[in-house]
Amino acid sequence: MKKIERKDFLKISGGALAGGLTGWVFSGAPFLGFQMSVEWTQDQQVVPKGLEKFVSAANDACPFGCNVRVRKIGERALQLQSDKGLCPSCQTSLQLLYHPERIKSPLKRTGAKGSGKFEPVSWDQALKDISTRLNSLLSEGKGSTIAAINKNESLSSIMMDQFVSTAGSKNVYYEAGLKSLETPVLNGYIDYDFNKADYILSFGARLIEGWGNISDVRQSYVNWKERGVKLVHADTISTRTASAADRWLPLKPGTEAVLAFGIANYLITSKRLNSSGAEFGRWAQMIINNYPVSKVASVTGLGEDQIKETAEEFYKAKNPVAIAGKGGIGTSASSAEILGVYCLNSLVKTKAVEIKRNSAISYNAEFSGLDAFIKDGAFNMLFLNNSNPVYKSVFGDELKKKMENAFVVSLNPIMNDSAAFADYILPSMTYFESGSSDNKPVVKSFEESKDARDIIITLAKMIDKTKNIFPFESGLKANTLAGRETATNGSFSYNTDKVKESIETLEKNIAQNNEFPLTLIPMEIPMVGDGDGLAFPYVHKTIDPSHYYKEKLLVQVNRETGKKYGLSENKSIVLQSARGKIGKVYVHLTDTVAPDTIAIPLGFGHESYTRYGNKKGVNPKKIMSSEIDPLTGRADWWSTRVKIG
Amino acid sequence: MTVKDVAMKRRWGMAIDLDKCTGCGQCAIACSQENNMPIFEDDSDVPKRVAFLELMKVTNDRDAKFPDVRAAFIPKMCQMCEGNDPKNPDPPCVSVCPVVATDVGDDGVVSQIWSRCIGCRYCQAACPYEARVFNWWKPKYEGNFKNSLNSDVSVASRGTIVKCTFCSHRWKQARDESVANGNLDINAPVYKTACQEACPVGAIVFGDLDDPKSEVAKLVASDKALRLTNSIDDLPEDKRKAFLKIKQFPNPKVYYLTSQKWLRDMMRFEKNS
Repeated sequence: MKKIERKDFLKISGGALAGGLTGWVFSGAPFLGFQMSVEWTQDQQVVPKGLEKFVSAANDACPFGCNVRVRKIGERALQLQSDKGLCPSCQTSLQLLYHPERIKSPLKRTGAKGSGKFEPVSWDQALKDISTRLNSLLSEGKGSTIAAINKNESLSSIMMDQFVSTAGSKNVYYEAGLKSLETPVLNGYIDYDFNKADYILSFGARLIEGWGNISDVRQSYVNWKERGVKLVHADTISTRTASAADRWLPLKPGTEAVLAFGIANYLITSKRLNSSGAEFGRWAQMIINNYPVSKVASVTGLGEDQIKETAEEFYKAKNPVAIAGKGGIGTSASSAEILGVYCLNSLVKTKAVEIKRNSAISYNAEFSGLDAFIKDGAFNMLFLNNSNPVYKSVFGDELKKKMENAFVVSLNPIMNDSAAFADYILPSMTYFESGSSDNKPVVKSFEESKDARDIIITLAKMIDKTKNIFPFESGLKANTLAGRETATNGSFSYNTDKVKESIETLEKNIAQNNEFPLTLIPMEIPMVGDGDGLAFPYVHKTIDPSHYYKEKLLVQVNRETGKKYGLSENKSIVLQSARGKIGKVYVHLTDTVAPDTIAIPLGFGHESYTRYGNKKGVNPKKIMSSEIDPLTGRADWWSTRVKIG
Repeated sequence: MTVKDVAMKRRWGMAIDLDKCTGCGQCAIACSQENNMPIFEDDSDVPKRVAFLELMKVTNDRDAKFPDVRAAFIPKMCQMCEGNDPKNPDPPCVSVCPVVATDVGDDGVVSQIWSRCIGCRYCQAACPYEARVFNWWKPKYEGNFKNSLNSDVSVASRGTIVKCTFCSHRWKQARDESVANGNLDINAPVYKTACQEACPVGAIVFGDLDDPKSEVAKLVASDKALRLTNSIDDLPEDKRKAFLKIKQFPNPKVYYLTSQKWLRDMMRFEKNS
């Protein structure tokens, strides 16, 4: 072997060293090390400084009146506590307060509508422009073409209601909630006294999944268990409410109203019961002629005994309650269903149910409901008060088109699907920043955001016609506007002529359909609800992978049905209804769903709802039933005939 | 009272009533907020997701056909195993840790110190309940989210194991408060975990298993109570004792309460009818 010279040895070692160094540099290791040292030295959590404090905050925008205790250190809010439990939107409110995509200042649209291009402007400029347009619209005598869509019956919504109606328009709408569905049908909304009730019969109302006054209903649920109150639930899929119920009536999709008619038939014919509602005679005739228990059994797929037993139990209970309004947070019901179910309460004269009205909110708009307004109404100017009808209405796409030709102002703290089509977005505060009549603000307001109530007052003062409607300077005094709840003594009408149309739609929807053999039913998953939860990252941590997993929205299909249509687990499919197609969704085979039914989670498929909510899954409302009910003015989108396309 | 007289008497445990649980998910949100869970753009990605409390949806649809199916939710966190002998606790994860990043205290809480963890993931492999999660990526808190971080819980770095600690920082707070009020008895203060506090129906009950007066001790003694896949629980007393002599069992301190047969069967991995 040749002896290695000293020179060669040095050359080889030098070469190896140079090669090694080059490799090290190209491997990225030094840069990664540099990055890590930057992270370790610069990007650390900043520990809050100051004293620990616990303060109360009442959410004036929460229709359920949640009361929150906030743990603060210095100027930061760190934690929410509550004795009674919170509603989902209050539970995520801390994530809303510190959301990285909070809107900092008023935004003016610069690109095409829906493009999401906005530029920041000053409050003065934004309000001046809005009020100038509003004033010129009013001077042209077009006050009636102003419209407002509120999220719920909060104080700012009552103010918006007064502002727009004083300006001369009847077009004030509320996103679909139970109250806005029931009021046009029953001449008021139903107030259930669940603590008095001793038998609960729910027609698709997913009580413990967010239905109604969420915190109260959940408390009542515990109370029912303690008192031994029987819970009977009719539903097409094995939801948590169905599983927790003492009896689950697994009926065919969309037949909840028919079941109510059947039970009413039994109570009227066998028990000779009477209802106090106007036109009861004609209604009873219709029920007796068209819905004998045997027919109802075959339509709903339930046994005759099951229906009779339930009716008998309902009759024997002292204060039974029949509940209409299918769903959890997103509710849907036709007028036939609301009347059919309320009829049962009225027949047995239960003391646990009352029809009430709020003196401040009349729901007395030009069209009886929001969907009818979007479809047939016209507007030159639209105010969106924290609402998101583009996402939540089945007519979202129609609304987008109408918004392109109108001047739209949206009040909301973070971007949403509807605000993307606005001309101006005015950043509103969360309840931590705005405070309430009893509590001081918990934290300082974020950037330039303002209390929605104050924005409405300022705007009203800039318009000649409305400048005197609010006799106070600060929105915190708006609680003086809150209406009083009064019982209406149950004066309602069965409205048989108008409801006929609703029943025809129902019959058509549940009849045999060879073109669209399957039925699409919505389901809600924890915290996501009907879509509001998806902007909050911690909500994503609660999502079960059998519902949504890595950009894939899974629909639940019965095993037998899957076999019939050649569907395997995780197969991608496209769903098609008479209105159009949505896809892709992925199949999850499970027997928790009735045969020939597809259950689809609501709340996904946002187009513009922050980076966390965007482009995740599909929005089933795009293809859901859109026939408008003559009384509620809403589409009963609950069950939709579909095929796999 | 002098401090040296005080011996720890607490043995923290939890009972979760699955029949009451509505599956609302608020325990999971409160837990994430309390314990500074990192945020990724798509947290539906389960293997990547870092959460102490998993809200598991379970059904019996494997064995039952519609309409005999039922659905329930199981909030699953660290089950706080104690091994065969409660006096001398030996959870499966503690003995495998090479750096004593995880240990079991005299209060029965299996602790985890993020900053001491070297990321070997032995404990994750040893855990029978998949209650431990690994930070594969650097925990991120975008923009203002940083402001809501809880200052009582340290933020983990990349490459460490994290898990539920029964909100032991809250107990520390309660002890500090008690001492500040002049009470040096370490057994005096009690506290609530974040998930328990957030539960709107009171399905989660937390407390001292050794205190016969505590609500949790009463619940745990009821017929409804069972533990996740701890197979010896269903055996007769003499057989159970014989098994405990020959093999180490996890014996968790988190109990689930349900009277529904399908759910009990499912939690035992048994076929149900």
